[in-house]
Amino acid sequence: MKEQPIPERLQISPFLVFYLVMSMQIGIGVLGYQRIIAMDAGYDAWISILFTGACVHVIVWMIYKIGETVGGDIVTAHKYVVGNFIGKAICFIFIGYFIIYCLTIVRTFIEVIQVWMFPEISTFWFSFGFMILCIYIVFGGFRTVVGTAFFGLVLPAYLLLTFGWAIKFSNFYNLLPILDHSIKELLTASYHMSLSLAGFEIIIFFYPFIKEPKKSQKWAHLAVLTTTLIYTILAIITFAYFSEDQLSRQIWASLTMWKIVEMPFVERFEYIGIANWNLIILPNVCISIWVASRLIKRVFNIRQKVGVFFVAAAVLSVISFVDTRIKINMLNKYVGKMGFAFTFIYIPLLFAAVMIAKKLKKGKNK
Amino acid sequence: MKKLTLFCLVLLLSGCVEKEIIDDINIEVGVGYDLAEDSKDKYRGTVLFQEFQPDKSVINRTFSGSGKLRQDLLLEVTKQSSEPVVTGGMKIAVFGPDVSRAGIYDLIDSFQRDASIGARVFVATSEGKAEDLMKGEYGTRGNSTYIYNLIQHNIAHRDIPKTNLHILAHDYYQKGKDPFLPQLKKVSNDKIEIFGISLFKDDKEVDSLPVKDMFFFKLLVDKYSEGNFDVKLKKGELAAVKSIRSKHDIKMSDNHASINIKIEGIIREYTGDELATDVIGAVQKNLEKKIEKECLRLLKQFQELGIDPIGLGQMKKSKQRDFDYKKWEDEYKTLGFDVKCNVEIEETGIIE
Repeated sequence: MKEQPIPERLQISPFLVFYLVMSMQIGIGVLGYQRIIAMDAGYDAWISILFTGACVHVIVWMIYKIGETVGGDIVTAHKYVVGNFIGKAICFIFIGYFIIYCLTIVRTFIEVIQVWMFPEISTFWFSFGFMILCIYIVFGGFRTVVGTAFFGLVLPAYLLLTFGWAIKFSNFYNLLPILDHSIKELLTASYHMSLSLAGFEIIIFFYPFIKEPKKSQKWAHLAVLTTTLIYTILAIITFAYFSEDQLSRQIWASLTMWKIVEMPFVERFEYIGIANWNLIILPNVCISIWVASRLIKRVFNIRQKVGVFFVAAAVLSVISFVDTRIKINMLNKYVGKMGFAFTFIYIPLLFAAVMIAKKLKKGKNK
Repeated sequence: MKKLTLFCLVLLLSGCVEKEIIDDINIEVGVGYDLAEDSKDKYRGTVLFQEFQPDKSVINRTFSGSGKLRQDLLLEVTKQSSEPVVTGGMKIAVFGPDVSRAGIYDLIDSFQRDASIGARVFVATSEGKAEDLMKGEYGTRGNSTYIYNLIQHNIAHRDIPKTNLHILAHDYYQKGKDPFLPQLKKVSNDKIEIFGISLFKDDKEVDSLPVKDMFFFKLLVDKYSEGNFDVKLKKGELAAVKSIRSKHDIKMSDNHASINIKIEGIIREYTGDELATDVIGAVQKNLEKKIEKECLRLLKQFQELGIDPIGLGQMKKSKQRDFDYKKWEDEYKTLGFDVKCNVEIEETGIIE
């Protein structure tokens, strides 16, 4: 059975993959990843970021190889390897993964708003408003989602410059001596870094939507490289700004660094920064809703709009129950583990399976 | 229809969060802490507000309260204030001598925990009670602005090393480095002055440096320093040297720390007849000798007190893998120092 190809008017140009991947990778993790990696590898943890970044490049290469071989997304790949029914059953898990992913992002962001700005804001009503916006965007189709990703990355990009204020109060001696930690510690930090760098795996879900996918591969790699560098530079500034014990207490180190920003027209820059962060979160949520609903469509053969409503309803019905720091932290930990298992274990396995299946099929054809 | 629902939602959702209108709140701009007189584990806090009058003048208003936690103080103060109290505009925090000797960690932790308090808040100690210091009438722009600017320009142009809440917390949590704070003194009801530097061991004040040592202290702990210093020559002439740039470079070897200080300066005033080249040379020599002597004395003093405001321990750690801070504490007691200073007088003003 041959699958229907995606019509060209719904496809995106190859270079847009850059924005999609980057805006998915940069999300809520940026606000507080420094502490998590520094817990293991201390102030050598920036090396771990580079290492994780390198691993991500390999996975991206595998994803493109899978897509190229099977000529489609992950559902096609499963069909290619294990057949229609089991393939769809496996994909069912990913629907759950992306719903939880979406839930985690929204909940963690609302927590930031509650702790830093408005403690009395209602979790449910904020996510309700946010979901309406996301449903509206996803209804516009994949190209609208990509547009959101573009603006969600370009408009708040100026925020990177605001971390420059911290440099004035930084002491780069904090980073010395380099390589004061064992390889094991560095690898543990790399593992913890994988959650922050995750998000690039969405390529395998929208692969058929790319016009000339081969040309987009270099953009995907460029996106991963840029994200890795941003994370590394921000980590180095953070490490120079905080002393080690001090950082271990900062839940949102990046936000705390905004406390030093001084502008004549604004006393507390965090308020502007967090409000802007909404724009960074938006594509994250939209893309994950899109992916989940797309999978629902592929697996159950129903309209995607039904899937979108289902995802939004699922997120809204659970979000009120995640109400304390401990629960939110747990949710983040589980999503981190799932993300790691999916991107760094499952995708290589799938890659191997696809390659073997390709060999076998070739043998049969002879 | 869709647009209408969205519009209604916008109207509904905008009422979700409590509003804080600037005219209807009291913004805490400064705070002073002392220990309460009745019981030793309670703080007595004095919170400073400023009220802007229609004629652009500022009225200082202080409220005092006591409690075991910072939030208790705020609660007490809120009870007395006609408007809700918010902490987002805090600029200075002053610790009285009994609080700084008993330990300031709890208060620093509370400042750090509070999302609305900035990192640029100036923290200082006071020579007398912090409450009295807060209750004066300094300048025309409000007490907190006055004290803030006082510290600010003394950091930029004079002898206070770079400091603020973030640097205090950084040094406190940094192993192998101890924090220090500027010390203020209320001279009269409308005057306040910088009285010295308070030295801390962990979070407790152990000693303070007088104003005359601040120049040397800043040379040791800060990178750029713009300070004034008087040099006495043999015949009793005086020369005022203003340093434009200073740099220090610390080299740590086994059981020895050698500190190199480099100053580029200009002569501002001279009381002798003529500022000839040999006089300039003498000024340079005398200043170098003086700095070497005084810095060495300060270093010895720190060593005796068992404190390390310069961060020699951190310096040593940055050069050595698997550094053991426990061992370093013993090593520090017997550490040898030498200070080398190099002064370069670049200009002597517009007359010779």
